[in-house]
Amino acid sequence: MLKFITAVLTSLTTGSIYALMSTALVLVWRSTRVINFAQAGQAVLTTYIGYEVIVRSGSYWVGLIMAIVAGAVIGAAIDRFFMRPIFKRITTGPIVMIAPVVATLGLLGIVQAIIGFKWGLTYQTIAAPVSTDGYRIFGSVIAFSPFNLMVLVCVTITMLLLTLLFQKTNLGLALRASAHSPEIAKLSGIKVDGIRTLGWALAGAAGGLAGMLFVPSTYLYPNAMDVLLVFGFIAAVIGGLDSLFGAVAGAMVLGFAINFTTSYVSSRLVFPTAFIILILVLLIKPAGIFSNKKGRRD
Amino acid sequence: MHNFSATKKRLLLFILFGWLLLLVGDRVGELRQYQGSFVAMYTLAIASIILLTGYSGQLSLGHSALMAVGAYAGALSTNNAHLHPVIALIIATFVAGLFGLILGFGVARLSGPYLAGTTLALAVSLPSLANQFPILGGEQGVAFDVGAPPARFGEDFSQYKWFFWISSLAALIMIWLIANLLSSKYGRSFRAMRDNQVAAQLTGINTGRLKVTAFTISAGMAGLAGGLLVMLISGVSPSAFPLSLSFSLLTGAVVTGVYSLKGVMLGGLVLVAIPEIADSVVNRIGGSEGFTATLPGFLVSALLIAAVLFAPNGPGQLLKKKH
Amino acid sequence: MIRNTRMKRFSIVSAVVAAGAMVLSIMPAQAADPGVTATEIKLGVSTPLTGSAGLAYGKVPGAMKAYFDYINANGGVYGRKIKLVVRDDKYLPTLAATQTTNLILKDNVFALVGALGTATHSKAYTAASLAAKNVPDLFVNTGFSGFGNIAKYPTTFTVLPSYAMEAKIMSKFIKEKFAGQAVALVAQDDEFGVDGVNGFKAGGLTIASTTLYPTSSITDARAKALLTGLSAIPGKPVVVLFGTTDVTALIFKAAESLDLVSKFTWIAGSVGGDANTLLALGVKSTTIDGAIAASFFPDAKDTSDEYVSQFMKINEKYNKGISFDNIVLQGMNSAMLTVQALRAAGKNLTRTGLINAVQNKGAKFASAGRVPLNYSATSHVGYNGYWFGQLNAKGELKPYGGTLSIFTTDSAAGAVEASTFTRPAMPKNGIPTNS
Repeated sequence: MLKFITAVLTSLTTGSIYALMSTALVLVWRSTRVINFAQAGQAVLTTYIGYEVIVRSGSYWVGLIMAIVAGAVIGAAIDRFFMRPIFKRITTGPIVMIAPVVATLGLLGIVQAIIGFKWGLTYQTIAAPVSTDGYRIFGSVIAFSPFNLMVLVCVTITMLLLTLLFQKTNLGLALRASAHSPEIAKLSGIKVDGIRTLGWALAGAAGGLAGMLFVPSTYLYPNAMDVLLVFGFIAAVIGGLDSLFGAVAGAMVLGFAINFTTSYVSSRLVFPTAFIILILVLLIKPAGIFSNKKGRRD
Repeated sequence: MHNFSATKKRLLLFILFGWLLLLVGDRVGELRQYQGSFVAMYTLAIASIILLTGYSGQLSLGHSALMAVGAYAGALSTNNAHLHPVIALIIATFVAGLFGLILGFGVARLSGPYLAGTTLALAVSLPSLANQFPILGGEQGVAFDVGAPPARFGEDFSQYKWFFWISSLAALIMIWLIANLLSSKYGRSFRAMRDNQVAAQLTGINTGRLKVTAFTISAGMAGLAGGLLVMLISGVSPSAFPLSLSFSLLTGAVVTGVYSLKGVMLGGLVLVAIPEIADSVVNRIGGSEGFTATLPGFLVSALLIAAVLFAPNGPGQLLKKKH
Repeated sequence: MIRNTRMKRFSIVSAVVAAGAMVLSIMPAQAADPGVTATEIKLGVSTPLTGSAGLAYGKVPGAMKAYFDYINANGGVYGRKIKLVVRDDKYLPTLAATQTTNLILKDNVFALVGALGTATHSKAYTAASLAAKNVPDLFVNTGFSGFGNIAKYPTTFTVLPSYAMEAKIMSKFIKEKFAGQAVALVAQDDEFGVDGVNGFKAGGLTIASTTLYPTSSITDARAKALLTGLSAIPGKPVVVLFGTTDVTALIFKAAESLDLVSKFTWIAGSVGGDANTLLALGVKSTTIDGAIAASFFPDAKDTSDEYVSQFMKINEKYNKGISFDNIVLQGMNSAMLTVQALRAAGKNLTRTGLINAVQNKGAKFASAGRVPLNYSATSHVGYNGYWFGQLNAKGELKPYGGTLSIFTTDSAAGAVEASTFTRPAMPKNGIPTNS
């Protein structure tokens, strides 16, 4: 029983971190149709900024806010100074898919090199702001601590805020409109370029939050978010890439699948599990579980 | 008749180029021969990406995994079944192609990011999968020993020249075959599908089957490239096929210009030359330990971004614009 | 790695001098091996500097360089200065193959020293034709026992004891000291862990639970799930951690969170038991207090050890800003072995001479290791044993049970034996004078 409860709890904490990463990827995908591989680098860079702020101010919370702000600024800057010029030069065909991917990979390399140079190639740690000792229930300690609870709450609040933004505000309407049909949005007077940049900024902020919530459970180093990016992307694809709800659901599906497999089948199967789940989902629903589009299969 | 002469012309061109490589290979040192072998291997791998992405419009982030399949098939053929290395390379091609066919039935018809996600997931799970089967040798892997060059070439004929010959010849033959395929009716169907899927379907092209075909051929080419790669590094290991390899190939394809096979060697050259250039720049500048360790990564990435920023459609497009 | 113009001019001048000397000598016996001039010996290493493995092992080449700089400042080896060319392979086999080939064909190094990694170096060895070119491949940093195979790697000398030896010796230790306690093994899912699993089998240890995890897949959440599972084993199980230090730290922290630190007897393998790193990664000192760790070196914190204190001094002066730990100790120790090997090879330095020197005299070299080196004409294996220590809250590793007991064995079916080895004294000021 304890084993089962632990599997559920660890799936939840794992899934919630994946969810932030997949949300960041979905936000960018919706706004510019780019799979943003630089997200890992952006997130880790903003987390280093957060780390520096924590070292100077002594407060995790100040660092958290600064990381989110820095994430938004960096995300917006990347869109403005890298993505927009590229999109001005390419027009149609598969190159639209692959050139931005290569550009974001280049950015990832640059960001990781800068980090390596500035902060040295060693592990740093960020102490959790609240206790990491597991709660005690009926005499046994469970794999869920106040810090895990804080992560879950932060992720939930973020998701609620994003949903509110998209569903209840004019800005959200503009975001959705330019995601679905940029031409029509442009015609109806929406500044599509600005809206796209906003998508990148939101994604950058989500990435910064993901880093600050993830690193206290592990370490900070240039490649700290790489694995998370891969799982975040797989989660986003499972969820259908277009919907925020799908991103969260995909992340949870992946979190549960991986943690239950490692607990009950074999700890060696972390990565193959992700692959198998993805194949299964896409065989049944080729456009992901929560995409409202019709099947993306011929 | 017209088509026949075009094919003939291409064959002559390839033979001429092969002869040129032969001459060059005789006149450069071992290091250049070894680097040349890598150029040939990367060229082939990038050609497989161009066929898949540039011609049929599919995006794969897991070509390293397909290369690994060919690599393991090749290594097992020489090391365990004691087959001749050339036969091993042919087996590598077909096994990877077969793998591509099976995988293709499941996923090749998925559109852009979905296929990208699936292939990415495959690439990251590959090391764990390889570790499940003891015959694959775990992290240590399986040796791929191509053997010493035949004695009749003389004593001066080095191992590296032998590598260069095999890689160049394999790449030339394979790319020649693909170039012929692309100038045939298949090539036209591929392009029609890439440019407008619906229109292609209206003209009676079975786009689903065509995508699986493209994926299969691309996987076979990647498998051959994988076989060559592990020949060059003397053996296969799961860690020889990291995600970064897939990404390098994409980069090479973009630098080459993804819509044409013509300049594909450029991509291979770039992948080998850029780290070399970065290294020599670092050596010239010098600096602290952390600086010299991180600068090559920075330079490679910066060049990459510059390439995409200024010539996202490949250098061919850039030249065309200037005229 | 840094080649400034002064160096270049210097080497041109020295090349001219050397060429002149060659012309003057009436009959040169044979063409000199590359990488050696009258004033310089060029050595090379391909090792991870960046990427995840760079985090763990990136300090090795810097430590070697620091020691070489120290020797160069004190007259070098028979007047020749040692230059170490470092190339980054990011722990990837393909890069290791090309970078090692670059070291041989482009940098023209005389010998390799301190290459790191199994999958990487086994590929690089063949790809760079090290055997055909007779390039000495000294003091390879991996626990993979295959490098001891002289037929396959005729110029390679290992230095670290193998994972298989570690597992066999650990089996004996656990059977003797913790009889009756169940044993759980947590190991990395690669040759490191798999060699370990086989070693425990060879050591006849019954293991109640084996967990193999892919590299970079262990997170805080999975560590907790793992420990919850192990906590169901009745009694006080022995948990053997056969992984890198970052994973050991994650598992310790998960145990803190679940209040399971005292539920288990902890044994960390030599790779993952570096107390300095564990504490730096945020593990509480009360957690490591009492944990058992295997080692073949002295404790890197033990300033009363003559090797450690001397290396610390060199580190402070020539490796500024780098904290001293097991990895730095390992790098300096390999560098000191290299200097002794170069001295033993004589003034007329050749590749064959260097290989013979390690074979014939290597077993007597001064080294920090508490266990013997096993070099001979028939063995290219370095250290072949371990001792067990217990960490205290300060992170110091003290001999288990109060007295240092050393065990030696081989990577195959050989028995585990107690050893009375006492190591040679540190050369004065850490500068070897052997010949």
